[in-house]
Amino acid sequence: MESILRQHRSKVIGLALVVALVVVLLVTGQKGALVIGLSTGSAYGLLALGLVLIYKSSGVFNFAQGEFGTVALFALYLLDFHVPYWVALLGALVVAGLMGFLTERIIVRPLFEAPRVILLVATAGVALLAIGVEIWLATSTGKPIAKAFATVDRVTVLGVQISDQRLWLIATLVVLAVLLGLFFTRTNLGLAIIGASQEPTATELVGISVRRLSSFTWVLAALLGGLAAVIIIPDGGSFGPAIMTTQYLIPAFIAAVLGGMTSLPGAFVGGVLVGVVQSVATSAPIFEDIPGTKSTLVLFVVLLGVLLVRPQGLLGKGS
Amino acid sequence: MTVTREDTSAVGRKPPPARFRPSPIGWALRGVIWLGVAYLVLVFPLSRPAGDLVSYTTAVCYGIVALSLNVLLGYVGQISLGHQAFVGLGAFTSAYMVTEQGQSFWVGVLAAAAIGGGQALVLGGVSLRIRGLYFALITLSYGLVAEQNIFQIQELTGGGAGQPAPKPELFNTEWRYYYLCLAFLALVLLVDWRMMRSKAGRSLLALRENPRVAATFGINVRMATLFAFVVSGVFAGLAGALIAHNDTFVSPDVWNFNLALVFIIMTVVGGLRSRAGLVIGGAFFALMPYLIEKIPGFTDLLAKIPGPQDLTPEIAPLVIGPLLLLLTLIQFPGGIGQQLRPITRWLGGRKFDLHDRGLKEVQITDVRA
Repeated sequence: MESILRQHRSKVIGLALVVALVVVLLVTGQKGALVIGLSTGSAYGLLALGLVLIYKSSGVFNFAQGEFGTVALFALYLLDFHVPYWVALLGALVVAGLMGFLTERIIVRPLFEAPRVILLVATAGVALLAIGVEIWLATSTGKPIAKAFATVDRVTVLGVQISDQRLWLIATLVVLAVLLGLFFTRTNLGLAIIGASQEPTATELVGISVRRLSSFTWVLAALLGGLAAVIIIPDGGSFGPAIMTTQYLIPAFIAAVLGGMTSLPGAFVGGVLVGVVQSVATSAPIFEDIPGTKSTLVLFVVLLGVLLVRPQGLLGKGS
Repeated sequence: MTVTREDTSAVGRKPPPARFRPSPIGWALRGVIWLGVAYLVLVFPLSRPAGDLVSYTTAVCYGIVALSLNVLLGYVGQISLGHQAFVGLGAFTSAYMVTEQGQSFWVGVLAAAAIGGGQALVLGGVSLRIRGLYFALITLSYGLVAEQNIFQIQELTGGGAGQPAPKPELFNTEWRYYYLCLAFLALVLLVDWRMMRSKAGRSLLALRENPRVAATFGINVRMATLFAFVVSGVFAGLAGALIAHNDTFVSPDVWNFNLALVFIIMTVVGGLRSRAGLVIGGAFFALMPYLIEKIPGFTDLLAKIPGPQDLTPEIAPLVIGPLLLLLTLIQFPGGIGQQLRPITRWLGGRKFDLHDRGLKEVQITDVRA
């Protein structure tokens, strides 16, 4: 028992933190913030998962992660005029996956041997290019986007009403978490990806092509980004160019760092943690006198605190 | 641990060849090129209308921003993703000092540089043990905090309306102000050059190559990183102040994350650790909308590309800039500076060598980003 605890110490710490946070919120009566934070945080978690996957496989912070989502949104918007919603949704995911594939083939692969900072700037370039094309195609005003489920506020949890769209988000996330967990522990492909991220040379030695895995990882990450976008954004009702980069990418980054940058469950938990902290903080009285949006300020303070006290991330392994 | 380029390149050479001396014709040719560059920078703007001068001055200021970012990115291998906040705070500080406090332009510029260095000192002091990825993240979120909170402070930024920033008395025309900014650029170049020739500069380079090895040679890794961060902050604050008084007005909404990305892009496309390349890269990205408008026939060509709306000079850079960046990265990872290196070496009185692209190991290999 003790050895298991020690082995999973980081996970225990993370879970304990989440539980403590939930209890504090319930006691202080911040139920609304809790529920909203959980669902927004799920979207952060999805994005953060893609970030961690790519960080593990290519060793780079992927700035294009948000734009995989925005591009999927544009595809959904355009396809929705011509085909049924669910087909359009599928099409949007295909487009996101394709963008991930092309990014890996055209940008990442030629820079395989390049310094990581160059690769980082390259992914920022992909994001900027996508944003530029979006502004060109769409004009920068917001466009309305349809929801998968029209019903608003059907279910009540802890006295807070939740739209069907948000329920769908949470359900998708739970299913996806289980599927991904199985994928990375039970299938050959999943194990190969984990292997390639931990020991690329050894993985090559046992006959696995690390480069081929790299394109698969990018497609998978792009799919996750696209999925996060097409689920969370329609809940707000409208979208515009660069929306996923400006609103979701940075919280997702922070979530990934909270999770230690290498842990997949850590990215999930980090996302939920960031979402809850953000939504609670926006209504906290101590920040009343500060002008502007408080959510980023709170994240900044949390980030500084985490990095000072536990630089390897809440759920990361000790160095 | 001396890792200047001269030292490392001298290792493989023995016996040292006689120093190359250009022939009189060679000197004359170099002189002509130098004169051409001087004409383009110093004389040509005199014949342009005032509106163009504002663009040129912005280009000069972006050159300073690129040099500022290069101190972190090129010399110590740390990525600042919040540089727009440093430049922006410099701009607001100077505008505030001049407009609200009634101080002179020079006090404003000094205050901007001091604030730029000061915030780097505080931020770096808090996160001293943090390098690499985490440094990037801290600066990233600091940039967002600046955008969403600091730049929303009414007194500092004049609210949504923005803060006026008049030009100084002696330099109150666009032309004079352009030369003032050129002088500041020259000053920054000089400081940067002398710094990299000093012990502190060499220890920065050693740090980038390998922090652990640098530490065993007695370099204080934290202090050196902090030093570079502060220098970068001072340059950024200065550039911000100059940009503010060039536009005669600072608005809170331009200092967003996209600008930070543009800063990084122009620094990398310009070429890390190449002063000429950095200045050219900064100027190029600042001038892109202007160039698109001025190149004859180019706007018509852009308008012919089918799309829901025309590629106007405002939108075109958003598409063309990143395309150029990706091309640069895949084809010429050393940036403009590396491509120009044979020419700049030749201009400096050395032999023309087309294959002289600088040393491979000068590239960053150990940034965990």
